[in-house]
Amino acid sequence: MNLSSPKTADIALAAPPRVRKPRGRWLGKTGWYTIMVLFGLVTAVPFLWTALMSVRPNSANVFRANQPPEIIPYPGLIGWGEGQRTATQEGSYTALPWDGTLPEGTGLGWWRDYGDQNELLLGTTLSQYAFPATTANYYRVWTDVNLPRYIFNSLVVAFSVVTLQLLTCSLAAYPLAKMRFKGRDTAFYLILATLVFPDQLTLIPTFIMSVNIFGFADTLHGLIIPFGANAFGIFLLRQTYQSIPNEIMESARIDGASEFGIWWRILLPLIRPGLATLAIFSFVGSWNSFLWPLLMLRNEAMFTLPVGLAFLEGAFTGNLRTVAAGVMVATVPIILLFLVFQRQFIRGLSGAVKG
Amino acid sequence: MAANTLLSNEELERGRRARSVRKHITAYGFLAPAFAFLIVFLFIPLIVAIYLSFTRYDLLTSPEWVGFANYETLFQDPLFWQGLRNSFIYLSVTPILIVLSISLAIVVNRRLRGVYIFRTIYYIPAVTSVVAVGMIFEFVFAEPAGLLNGVLTSLGIIDAPINFLTHPNSTLVSIMLVTIWRGIGFYMIVFLAALQSVPEELYEAAALDGANRFQQHWHITVPGIRPSIIFVAIISSISALKVFEEIWVMTDGTAGLLDSALTLMFYLYRQAFTNLEMGYAAAIAVVFSIITVVFSLLNLRYLERNNHEPEQP
Repeated sequence: MNLSSPKTADIALAAPPRVRKPRGRWLGKTGWYTIMVLFGLVTAVPFLWTALMSVRPNSANVFRANQPPEIIPYPGLIGWGEGQRTATQEGSYTALPWDGTLPEGTGLGWWRDYGDQNELLLGTTLSQYAFPATTANYYRVWTDVNLPRYIFNSLVVAFSVVTLQLLTCSLAAYPLAKMRFKGRDTAFYLILATLVFPDQLTLIPTFIMSVNIFGFADTLHGLIIPFGANAFGIFLLRQTYQSIPNEIMESARIDGASEFGIWWRILLPLIRPGLATLAIFSFVGSWNSFLWPLLMLRNEAMFTLPVGLAFLEGAFTGNLRTVAAGVMVATVPIILLFLVFQRQFIRGLSGAVKG
Repeated sequence: MAANTLLSNEELERGRRARSVRKHITAYGFLAPAFAFLIVFLFIPLIVAIYLSFTRYDLLTSPEWVGFANYETLFQDPLFWQGLRNSFIYLSVTPILIVLSISLAIVVNRRLRGVYIFRTIYYIPAVTSVVAVGMIFEFVFAEPAGLLNGVLTSLGIIDAPINFLTHPNSTLVSIMLVTIWRGIGFYMIVFLAALQSVPEELYEAAALDGANRFQQHWHITVPGIRPSIIFVAIISSISALKVFEEIWVMTDGTAGLLDSALTLMFYLYRQAFTNLEMGYAAAIAVVFSIITVVFSLLNLRYLERNNHEPEQP
């Protein structure tokens, strides 16, 4: 069998209208679903485990000796705001591990203790797997460390980086794709070359300049400006521009439009898919970036979410439930964002790779 | 044009030159903002990095030229070699990731009801930050109350909890598992896009020729998606070489007991930002970059060369 021989290729090309044979019969549908579900569990279980940890009321081990593991949550101490102490005193259990450490407050906020039994589960075999879930860990991580502040900082940085990169990259990619001028190829290869060198090489000089010359330490713009342009983004948008026929620009030029006008009014709307891809990639990149903010920030008020998250463990030594709640707060929004924009995410990724 | 006949050659020439100048001004005007950022934060640092690697510099006093001393020290530094060794061990995530993600892409590249839901789930780790993933796996690996130790103990598989992240022998491997876990979904999507461009007819023809499923994938899928394999090999080996955040988070910034998870990148970080040996760290960065570039070229060469070999012996 030689698959590249013309004979086989002819047969392949001459094949009658695609009759799609159900490939995969050898394993069967059930087999494929089993594989997919198993791998789905490998992906999902670490997240579910973290979610489970984040609603645990106490530090007891989920897996108890000679007893079934406590893996089914039911409503226990639920609420938000101060006044949690009152709730625990009136409630039917006082197993909260940090009694007395929450800020003083009486009746502020809303708390209700649904008790340490659940009617639905009572008497069933499931009840031995159940435990009372609480929102107290979330309230604690939300107030004791300045989680809203970290989220705000991360959002400011990510949106600024996205805006700046969209602007600089879409400007720079236009002449590289559509104009003829001296030095165009040199400029393009310079940009390509930066993709080859790892950013670790520039890390130290960029750090020194940022701290000593630009005074970027402990500022948010210090997390934005060094990422004002993105070589990959220029490369990506150049390809998007190239897919646009020249005639569109020619006719606009005949109508007397300026180059800037053509770019702003005609081309930008046309390269929107490329812009969306770049926006998503630079948003996720900035939102998740860790090393640079770690180096730049000392002042806790300027922390971005990943840095704040990394220091949560220090802030709540031994209280992993609160840390888990922090991890959930940090990851769930970005996962939801992905679920909403998944088409753009995946199409953008495939497009960027295929080039 | 009729109007041109009214102008002298000189005027024509001047007009052409003016247009050309204007064209260049426009083009460079468009390039200017991006290049301003690239020059200040990429091109200049690139040159400065190489200069710094020949100096001793602690941020406080000005850099002092020391020639090749940093490089000489580096090659006698046992921690550098340990970092290099660990970075190369870390590279073994690349072939594992390629095999696993191609397999997974083949699994989800079929028209089954709900297959999109699975693809989406598999991609979720790729959009979760490394820091969060590292912390999630600290919960999974924790001892004795972590998920893995809990499950293994209650199933009676192990008696004593495994010190996934605290024993020198297992720290690096545990962190590599996390990198694989986080990478599979991302590379799966890359391969899925490639798979969908392999013509269906080829498989049918091969099946007619009597090729079994494995042979079909080996002789059609693998050559068909070779550009993506090269892409993933390069991207994932670069990110394996420069792994840092996973290690920082999962060893609480220590690189593990006895520096058991110290990679080259972590060593660079430690020399630069803990010991303030900026010149020495720059030398590490230069060596590191050379390794990375050489490795990418090797990947490209090796996988390209295989491309030209006949597909059937």
